[in-house]
Amino acid sequence: MKIIIAGAGDVGYHLAKLLVLEDHEIAIIDLNEAKLAHLSKHLDVVTVRGSATSFSVLEEANIANSDLFIAVTESEEANISTCIIAKHLGVKKTIARIQNTEFLVRKDKLDLYDLGIDEIISPESLAGREIKRLLREIALTDSFDFDGGKLSLIGLPINKKSPLCGKSLLEASKLDPTNSFITVALLRNNETIIPHGHDRFEANDHAYFIALPSAIDKVIMLSTREKKQGLKRVMVLGGSKVGINASKQLSKKYNVKLIELDKQKCFELADMLPNVMVIHGDARDVDLLQEEGIDETDAFIAVTGNSETNIISSLVAKDHKVKKTIALVENVDYIHLSQNIGVDTMINKKLIAANFIFRYIRKGDIINLTSIHGVDAEVLEFVIKVESKITRDTLRSLDIPNSVIVAGVIRKGEAIIPKGDFQFRPKDRAVVLCKPESIQQVEEYFS
Amino acid sequence: MSRFNVKLIGSILGLLLVISGVGMLMAIPFSIYYKEDLFPITSSAAITLFTGLPLWLLLNKSAPRELKKRDGYLVVTLGWVVMSLFGTLPYLISGSIPNFTDAFFETMSGFTTTGASILNNIEAMPKGILLWRSLSQWIGGMGIIVLAVAILPILGIGGMQLFVAEAPGISAEKLKPRIKDTAKRLWLIYVGLTFLETVLLMFGDMPFFDALNHSLTTMATGGFSTKNNSIAFYSSPYIHYVITAFMFLAGTSFTLTYFILKRKLKKVLGNEEFIVYLVFIILATLMLTGVVHSLTDYSFEKNFRDTLFSVVSIITTTGFVVEDYTAWSPLITMAFFALLFIGGMAGSTAGGIKVVRHIVLFKNSFLEMKRQLHPNAIIPVRLNNRAIQGELTYHVLAFMMIYFLIFSIGSIIMAWVGLDFPTALSAVATSLGNVGPGIGNVSPVDNFSAIPTVGKWVLAFLMLLGRLELFTVLILFTPFFWKRE
Repeated sequence: MKIIIAGAGDVGYHLAKLLVLEDHEIAIIDLNEAKLAHLSKHLDVVTVRGSATSFSVLEEANIANSDLFIAVTESEEANISTCIIAKHLGVKKTIARIQNTEFLVRKDKLDLYDLGIDEIISPESLAGREIKRLLREIALTDSFDFDGGKLSLIGLPINKKSPLCGKSLLEASKLDPTNSFITVALLRNNETIIPHGHDRFEANDHAYFIALPSAIDKVIMLSTREKKQGLKRVMVLGGSKVGINASKQLSKKYNVKLIELDKQKCFELADMLPNVMVIHGDARDVDLLQEEGIDETDAFIAVTGNSETNIISSLVAKDHKVKKTIALVENVDYIHLSQNIGVDTMINKKLIAANFIFRYIRKGDIINLTSIHGVDAEVLEFVIKVESKITRDTLRSLDIPNSVIVAGVIRKGEAIIPKGDFQFRPKDRAVVLCKPESIQQVEEYFS
Repeated sequence: MSRFNVKLIGSILGLLLVISGVGMLMAIPFSIYYKEDLFPITSSAAITLFTGLPLWLLLNKSAPRELKKRDGYLVVTLGWVVMSLFGTLPYLISGSIPNFTDAFFETMSGFTTTGASILNNIEAMPKGILLWRSLSQWIGGMGIIVLAVAILPILGIGGMQLFVAEAPGISAEKLKPRIKDTAKRLWLIYVGLTFLETVLLMFGDMPFFDALNHSLTTMATGGFSTKNNSIAFYSSPYIHYVITAFMFLAGTSFTLTYFILKRKLKKVLGNEEFIVYLVFIILATLMLTGVVHSLTDYSFEKNFRDTLFSVVSIITTTGFVVEDYTAWSPLITMAFFALLFIGGMAGSTAGGIKVVRHIVLFKNSFLEMKRQLHPNAIIPVRLNNRAIQGELTYHVLAFMMIYFLIFSIGSIIMAWVGLDFPTALSAVATSLGNVGPGIGNVSPVDNFSAIPTVGKWVLAFLMLLGRLELFTVLILFTPFFWKRE
């Protein structure tokens, strides 16, 4: 596929990185020569210097023969207008990054599709959704549902006391006679391991499981020796767009306090979010956090514009026994640090946006696709067809690479964790985890 | 250069006099029909018109167009005073109210749509003069609509401000951006409803003259009647219900009525003030009906009708009477005294504190407790699901404080001029709230004729204060208003 990306910022860079692995032809347009030079040094992409709103620049990037145009510059207006121009110059599909979430909800008034924009994405609202998803269960650092919750992907830390620590996967499966979960990835020292029978759990590992809903509690018990805990009080730091989006979504379920520094902004937030208690104050003021009940808070979400403030205040929250902390960081490289320094989850809205676009492009045979924060692996969901290669034999007999785990099957509405003797049938749904470089191979088997 | 735009102020006052003069002319056909002496009304109209027309026409051309905020306060207050002064002419010339104090009280009561009267025998008055009396209220009501939707918000006063400036940059309740168009639309509703009520009352066998007069004063939430016994003169339940309905409409924001006509029911049901206004009337009526029914031998329907009528009449600050509410029991009397402080909706012709201010006051008081617990939290008062700016909340609180301060001082003055306790309190409350009747010696079946001269002037002043939402008038008495900048 020929893809043109306008904007070589973080979103553009990360997206290009993901897409290059897939053997797409990528052209990147940006005004900044230094950024383009950096990009072409690291990735196999064509760079075009110039403004993406310029017809001649777009034509130079061979827009007429391209399949997809993605506008992810910082400017919403530029993204919308370049997408419109690109569509008229002959590109098949366009995606624009926007900030104003009204475009997403007021489609009755103005549907950007009519203007030639096929998909709009807002990193801020995606981040809000992501936060809501992460908060589903306190003990879990990550969770993702397949087929409406029939199967779940969950991630959580392994510590010294945990019953799983030191055990191999084979030994672990003996603790689970009903075969209700499977270990799909281990994150050890910033390295992603796709584990097999004899790999062992170690202390400070971060383990990811695919589990039946009934087994989630068991997995939590085995990993942390703690009981499932409810989530009630959430503190959000920063009235940024992400903060507003997250507060709005969380306030439907939880008791949310939103802390913002600017007083006038506080008033606007209070106006916008009737069910959220807006607090005026400096998030770095520990006394204020205490006064507002940080000690009774279950989850702490730091989404101010300053990554360092977010990280430090999350650590302060952790120090006050907040069970779950999430920090928004601008710098993509920080994300790998999260487990090491003690913040439960770090999110980056640009990364989230890039992943979202990547999934959008990858879609086709894949019905669902997610990536795990900080983990170098992708989780894919397929519907098996009659001609799919995977239906030919049992899993054991097929030569599936080691970097791929067939983690779950949903057959006629019922979830199964497959073993080696399992054989796929058409119309089954398969949940597969793999390293990014194996996606192509996975697709060969499943589509 | 004067610090005020004297020419434009003069020209506007001239225009107001022309409107009054034309109003007086309207009475002439009735005087002719009832074969009354034409001289008083024609000469009054002539004096008013010949003063107003030159002022208006001569000054209008040369006056600078710009009206500053200060000019605004001055012209609004002076407008009501000047109109009330000239409005006394028909009473004085005809000799139906020979005393200037009484005539001024009656006219001020008219233009402020209060409805407190000093007349002992209304039915003996010439019909032409009575029509002028009702018209003064109707013109006052018309003035209030423009004032409420257009002028006061600009001056930063009044309940409408809460809607106009409820959120930064959004004026949800303004129908059309242009003030002139808005006023015209609302006047059309005002005129239309007056006409409709007249017709409906005539269906109930009320003679045309009385139907017209009562309609004029209902829509203005004034309450002047052509009968000594007010609406109690009529025994027809139909008439009572029709007037109740129109009092309710007159006490409803006219912008809201516009939305009802436009079938934007969502806006109506989403309007907190309207819901509170409606629910409060229903609850007050039901509770009081229960008490009244236990005290009288009348049918439940009559007790319900009388109570509903009285409650609506007092809350909307109209002041019509079907039954003397002070004759039932001390509890009911006290309840009606309290109702004097409610007022209708902002943006209606009703006077008083207005429902929206009560809502803000109650919500703010309640939230104040929450603020004590969370000193750093920003907890604004929400109205119609939008947060209200802090300054507007303070403005409402200041209004309430000043309202009750003036009520207290006024009551002391009235006691000093010789009124007994309940009379003094209720005369002040009813004047300040532009209601009409009170309790004690100014109960629905009494009138204000026995009040000493000083008292009448004070009450007339209070009517003006209340009608112009306190600040418009009070600001004229502050040193900073007159200070040259």
